[in-house]
Order: sequence, then C-alpha cells, then structure tokens
Amino acid sequence: MDHKDSHRKQGPEKFWFALDNAAKIFPAVISKKFTAVFRLTAVFRQPVKIKPLRKAVLLAERRFPYFMVQLKEGFFWYYLEYLPQHIPIETDQQVYCVKFRKGELLIRILVKNTSLSIEFSHILTDGGGALEFLKTILVLYAGECGSEIPAAYQFPEPVAPIPEEEYEDAYSRYFKEEIPPMVKRSKAFHLPYTLKPFARFSRLNAILSIKELQQAARGKGVSLTVYLVAVYLYVLQEIFENRSTSNKYKRNKRLRIQVPVNLRKIFPSRTMRNFSLFVMPEIDLRLGHYTFDEIIKSVYHQMMLETDEKLINKNIARNVGGEKKLFVRGIPLFLKSFILRMKYYSLGPVQYSGVLTNIGKVTLPEEAGAMLDHFLITPPPPNKLLKVSCGAAGFGDKMVICFGNITHSHEFEEKYLQFIRDQMIAVERSEL
Amino acid sequence: MIQCPKCGVELEENANFCSLCGDPLAGKSSEDPAYVRSGKARKDEKFLTDYQKLTGFQKRKIFWKISGIVLISGIVSTLLIDFFVNQRISWSKFPATIGLVIYINFTLNTFLRKKVVFMLLLSFLSVTGLFTLFDFYAGGTGWEMKLGIPVLVAAYVIVLALIFVIRNSGQKGLNVIAYSLIASGMLCGCIDALITIYNRNSLGFDWSLVVMVSVLFVSVLLLYIHYQLRKATDLKRFFHI
Repeated sequence: MDHKDSHRKQGPEKFWFALDNAAKIFPAVISKKFTAVFRLTAVFRQPVKIKPLRKAVLLAERRFPYFMVQLKEGFFWYYLEYLPQHIPIETDQQVYCVKFRKGELLIRILVKNTSLSIEFSHILTDGGGALEFLKTILVLYAGECGSEIPAAYQFPEPVAPIPEEEYEDAYSRYFKEEIPPMVKRSKAFHLPYTLKPFARFSRLNAILSIKELQQAARGKGVSLTVYLVAVYLYVLQEIFENRSTSNKYKRNKRLRIQVPVNLRKIFPSRTMRNFSLFVMPEIDLRLGHYTFDEIIKSVYHQMMLETDEKLINKNIARNVGGEKKLFVRGIPLFLKSFILRMKYYSLGPVQYSGVLTNIGKVTLPEEAGAMLDHFLITPPPPNKLLKVSCGAAGFGDKMVICFGNITHSHEFEEKYLQFIRDQMIAVERSEL
Repeated sequence: MIQCPKCGVELEENANFCSLCGDPLAGKSSEDPAYVRSGKARKDEKFLTDYQKLTGFQKRKIFWKISGIVLISGIVSTLLIDFFVNQRISWSKFPATIGLVIYINFTLNTFLRKKVVFMLLLSFLSVTGLFTLFDFYAGGTGWEMKLGIPVLVAAYVIVLALIFVIRNSGQKGLNVIAYSLIASGMLCGCIDALITIYNRNSLGFDWSLVVMVSVLFVSVLLLYIHYQLRKATDLKRFFHI
C-alpha cells in the first residue's frame, strides 16, 4: 500500500467564494485567443535559484489561500472553489498568457534564466493584487537566499487568520444605490492591421530610463501615465491620418484609450481580488488635428476628472447595479453567459482604441530589490478589435513598456518608440 | 554553483538533473550510479510486505491454488464418506459436481481474466454441463433444456452487458449500484417470463413487474444523485444567487 497518503498534510477546509464584480464578465468571454491572462515578470541580475524559489512559493501559498482556487460552474453564477494543489512552477517556453484549463489553478509560475514570471487569470485578481503576490514571493525568495525578511513579510506559523478584507469584493462595499449609471459611449477608432493566425500573441519590450521619461513628463507638467497615454493617442492619430479617406476604419473618429485605475488608491481597501476600473481619455478627430501639447492637456484634465471619486462611484453603480437586481441574478448561468458576451461586445473594446496599463513604480525592501534588474507586465492578449495592448512597469530607473500584438504589423510599436526617441529619451529593445 | 543548460536556472551543487525542466545535467548521464541510486532509493523508501509486492495475477494464482486444494480435497472426502457409508456413490455426486464446476470457474477467472467474453463463454458451458449432469442424476426430466439453460443464458448475457457498461462508465460510484440493480431487475423479468412459459406455455409477467418498477425507481434516483448532484456537493455554493 502507498503510505505517502497518510502523511499528506490536511489542507484548509474546502472554502469557496463568488466572483468579484469585475471578474464576472471573464468566464463568459474567455477563449483560447482571448484568455484574460496577464503576466508579471521580475528579471533578476543573476539566474534564478530554483530551490529557494520553490520554498518561497510554498510559503507564499499559505499566506494567500484565496489564490489557490479553481473556477466552477454553479447554477446561477460561476464561483471559485479551493483546489488543494501547489502552484505549478514550469520552464518558461515564452508562450505568453495561455488560457487556464478547467480544474486547474488560475495561476502559474514560469521560470527561465534570470526571469521569474507569474501568470494570473483576471478572474482571480488584477495587476494590483498580482503585484502584491509577486512581491511577497520575491521577498521570501531573498529570505531563502540569506537576506533578512522585513517584518511586514514575516508570517507566523501556522499562518494567522487572513483578514477578511483581503477576500472581499470591494466593489460591493463601495456600491451606492440610487446613483445614475454611466451612459454608453460611441464607437472608437481601431487599428487597421490584419490578424495573425492562431498562436498569434507576440510581444515587444522596450526599456526606457524613468529619469529621462519623468523629465519629459514634468516638462509638460504631467505624470508618467498621462504622458504615455498622450503618446498613445498621438500615434493613433498619426496612423488614422495616414489612411486614405475612404478607409472603412476611418468611420469612427474618436480615439479612446482605456487606462485601468487601481481603486485601492482611491477607496481604502486591502482586497487582493479585482479592484480596478477604467478611465477612458479620448480625442475627437472630427474637431481636427491635435498637437501633442493639446493632447497632453486634454488627457491630463480628463484623467483628473474621471478619477474623481464621485464619477468612479457612477461607474461602480453601473457595474454592480446590474448584478444586484434579482431578475438578473435569477437567470440560469448559460443564458447569463450569453447575455454577458453580448454586453461585452457592445460595451467592451468597441468603445476604445487601445489599452495602456501602468502598474507604476514597483518598490521592494532593499535586499530583495538589490537582486532585481527590472519588472515587466505583459498585458492580456488583446481581442481582435483592439489588436494591440500595452503595459508599463517601473523599477529602479528602468521603465519597461511591453506591447502585446496579435497582428502582422508592428507599425504602432515602431511609431510609438520612435516618438519617444524623438523626445530625446533613450529606448533599448529587450529580447526577454 | 551549477546552471541548467536548458532553462538557465541555478541548481544545487549535487543536482543530477534540473528540478525545473527535468533534463539530466551535462556529464550526469542516466548510467551514473548517483543518478540511478536516487530513483532506486525512492522506491526502497516504500515499505511493502512480500504479499504486497506481488502482481494481481500472482495473487490470483495463490488464491486459485488454495481453493484448488480445499475443493478437490472436499470432493474426494465427500465421495469417500458417501462410498464408505452407502457402499456406492449416491448423494455425494451433487456436491462433488458443484465443487468441480466452482473449481473450473476459479481457474477461468485466474487465467482468462483479460478475455472476459471467452471466460464467460467457458463458464457458461461449465454451468450448462452442471445442469445437464443434475438432470441426468435425477433421471432425465428435461428441465434443463426448457428452464435451466434459458435462465442461464439470460443471466450470462445480462452479466456481460453489466460488465461492459460498468467498464465504460467514467466515474464509478452510485451509478454502479444503479446499473447492478437494473441488471438484477431485468434478470428477474427474464426468470419470471421463462417460468411462466415453462408452467403455462404462454408469455407473461407476474411478480417481476413489481421488482422491475421498484428497481427502476431506485436506480433513476441513484443515477440522478450520481450525475447531477455529484457536481455540487454543496448545494449552497451550486445555487448561490
């Protein structure tokens, strides 16, 4: 007989929880191509040591039990159920953001040479939650390699009860009734490139100096995110204007960028699940050509306006209000998925031309930070309308911009990076 | 400090293969004693008794040998007792024949387990032989052709179908009980029909109808529990709204 089983540790109780408000849309729209999986990568200065990494991941797993779940179908909703498995640690084959299969955890770790990547399904959490998890692994890894672990990352044994706030669907907490929902926006311009066949998602990384970038942004009196969004819009405008007037893509003349905003910075919450929303700065090309300065000014004010707490409330009201209605809740899952899919196509990427997600400057305790060179966020594969997506992450003096692309053309990326070079900011292409 | 040539991660000094990608490291081929030892040592860690080390076939063979000794000695001793008491073989031919048929069936189960259809066919022939011999001992009433063998055919066909269904069902649990109940209900139906034909020379069902209806009711319930509720062990999470 196999005696191993009797020694196996009993895992925590089989807990479960409902999907948070932002995650609810994903199971309905996820496919092999549109996977809703994003990747965070930490690039070390030295090759990754596999044994300390394994130990660090095992420790982190105990601290973040709510990530150890699988997606299950209920009668009315999907839900997440505890899955007593360890997070798989695999060799990184450089195939990015592959869909998670049924019965799997919604998280995986991929390692190659000096890079350590974590892929998360958006069903589980957003960039903010995922970054916390990665940071914990990095600090514990540094600890396993001999560094001192700061008090904030030390977990007593056995792990103290996890604060419920980390589990919570924070959207529900900040949902206010009787707030009028957002109005639907018009269709936006989309990049006109032809799609690659399957296994089409590729990426291109560029490393920039944060100092130089900041100088350029400060010169215009705006933040890095606003600056990068403005460049995005400017390049889209150029691509738009270069097309012949009869081009079908020119029918929609609004250029809009979806910029995820980490709501933890606006509403106090320690949730580790999705808690972000989008703002969508736009320029309307029916009003004529915009100069870069005009775009910067407009984006700056739109971002300031849209990240206003009251306006965010309006957004939450739209998203959460729907799922609170009893007649919506009572629709069986298969019908609900169908309706959600329709909603996504009418309210989703149709309304914006591009995505730029900036997870900001990552900070780590000194000793853990000293092991690292830079961070990288690979955005989820864009859908067929969007075609290109963009993620930015900063660490030390390095800002890495990652372009995800599913088309044959790299015109957008080339133009984007060329514009930055023209502002006297050095751009280094990274092969990682 | 060594590095895996394939995936580039850093490994323990004494590693023989990469724990990430599983590739043996350069200069550490599979013939390396250290490499071989690791696998062997892991196997030895498992404590097993001599009996646990045997394969399924070896275990069945032991059972076959023991049952052979018990049955054959039983047959011989009953025959001898009968002979010494009555000076001839009278009643003992019944238990002796049954013992022999049981032994034949054990033998078939030991050696032909992989060939189910062939095994059941031979088993069927052996039991047919048993019935024929019983009829012969009893003076040739002919019941075995009219009743015994048809019931036997029905039983074997139903068992064969049951084995086929169970082997092909994915997850085994309450559904196996349900299938077995349905099979027994069907067998009851067959037996009932054959008996009425034997007695009245016309086809009809009496008591077996009640059996079949109740068996069907219970089976459907079991199958529903197995296939529908299995997915949702906790109804609260399945139906959360």
